[in-house]
Amino acid sequence: MRLPGQRWYTPYLFAAPALVLFGVFFAWPAVTAIQLSFLKYDMISPPPVFVGGDNFVRMLGDDRFWTALLNSFLFLVGLFPLLVVAPLLLAVLVNQKLPGIRTFRMLYYLPVVTSMVAVGIAWEYVFHQQGVLNWMLTGAGLLDRPIQYLLDPDWALPAVILVEGWKNMGFYMMIYLAGLQTIPESIYEAARVDGAGPWRRLRSITVPLLVPYIAVAFTVEMLDAMQAFTSIYVMTRGGPQDTTLTLGYYIWSAAFERYDMGYASAMGLVLWVLMIGLAILNYRITRGRTVMA
Amino acid sequence: MILRRAGMYLVLTAIALVFVGPFLILLSAGLKPADQAVYSFPPDVIPRPPVLDWIVEAWTSIPYPTYLLNSVIYVGVMVPAYVIVSALCAYPLAQMRFRGRNLVFFAILSTMFLPGELMLIPRFLVVTQLGMADSFAGVILPGLLSAFGVFLLRQTFASVPRDVVDAARTDGCHELRIFWHVMLPAARPTLAILGIFGFISVWNSFIWPLVVLKDSGKYPLALGISYLAGITGTDIRTLAAGTIMSIIPVVIVFMLMQRHILDGMRGAVKG
Repeated sequence: MRLPGQRWYTPYLFAAPALVLFGVFFAWPAVTAIQLSFLKYDMISPPPVFVGGDNFVRMLGDDRFWTALLNSFLFLVGLFPLLVVAPLLLAVLVNQKLPGIRTFRMLYYLPVVTSMVAVGIAWEYVFHQQGVLNWMLTGAGLLDRPIQYLLDPDWALPAVILVEGWKNMGFYMMIYLAGLQTIPESIYEAARVDGAGPWRRLRSITVPLLVPYIAVAFTVEMLDAMQAFTSIYVMTRGGPQDTTLTLGYYIWSAAFERYDMGYASAMGLVLWVLMIGLAILNYRITRGRTVMA
Repeated sequence: MILRRAGMYLVLTAIALVFVGPFLILLSAGLKPADQAVYSFPPDVIPRPPVLDWIVEAWTSIPYPTYLLNSVIYVGVMVPAYVIVSALCAYPLAQMRFRGRNLVFFAILSTMFLPGELMLIPRFLVVTQLGMADSFAGVILPGLLSAFGVFLLRQTFASVPRDVVDAARTDGCHELRIFWHVMLPAARPTLAILGIFGFISVWNSFIWPLVVLKDSGKYPLALGISYLAGITGTDIRTLAAGTIMSIIPVVIVFMLMQRHILDGMRGAVKG
């Protein structure tokens, strides 16, 4: 039976705008990216020259590439406590039934909705030599003298990681909060009757039941960390001495500061493969844990 | 018990200060008069008296109203357009059988796994070839396909009972009418979620406009602020004032719509 108003092509017509956008702005560029990675192309002196695997070989001998890779990895590791662990505790804290708790949730989420540009600028004031952070740390006796965090090779990377973590923590808190609200209160009451304290309840009930959400948080954290760019662009531009040069920033700078499109695309492909590899690895690890729990 | 509760509020407030503090410092710097130091040990955060000079300065030293208007245009065009594109694509995926349905779904879903930095370069070349470099269209069009939007709406539409849709169909309703009069009203909460997430992401968009635009007259506000920060000699009070102003609209929208955010996260994670 043919329904009125529905021809064989009706579903395709509905999907057409999305499919056209997919073709033009995703599929076509994805194919172009693969082509580019085998070309030398600077956008000024056409035509592009086919160079085979040269771009990939060049990476092996490029110290800055390895620095960037290492820094991206440090980003991933440094963000783990800030984006996978701490937000879980925050979520437990704001999952309590207290008057006004929604206001606190909202305040913790505030940095998530503001632009990384604004956040980066705000933190430059906090990090200033005469700024509030130096005042607190020297006042508490943790520092002898004020530090210029974003200009100090030892401190710049931790400082940028801190800002990235601070900005996105609320987002991860919400992932966990969605998970916490699926745990029935009765389980906690039973545990309380059995004399389990808050720490015990967290370890034996909350964390095991949240494993699927921890898996989501971990995956998103890795993908976020590998793609960190705007914070670095706004605060350090990869410096000082390349200590905050991440893969994402290096790709951008190779492409749009040096117009080395082929090399940048090749590094982009490596980043892509790394991200997919990490996502699969993560899926395997957390899935195993779910079964064991 | 009361003591415990007071302690809890103390902890909650201390954490809130960590998240709001940097914005307060920015606000304080943007309102301080010229003769009051921005930095000092101990911090002196209350402006005495608060002045609006720096707001005026930020407004006039860069084409602030232009950037603001541009951001309003980007949001005003992109948010409705991406919601409609998502909904149109999600409807057949949820409620029709057709050849290639899974293929369409997975193609859209796969866009989530393409790293932004990789796509930046070829997308810039594609947009240049299409003659859209340095134009509003070049900023807008690539941002209209959202796997998240299609995904969330497909779930919502799928929960509309089959009977309702079939009844409308046998009554001779055109598919577009069903889409408009049955599907969209049923998906109102999801549409609200997509609207707010879309607003936040477009308002804060930075990397793509940075790559595609040369003419600063088309900059969205976030890019304009970064431009202001990059001008050597920009007064730190002016920069603070300009930055604070740039986040006020998004903070207001967020406060008005915040109850939808948790719902949105729940839907996204569960799926």
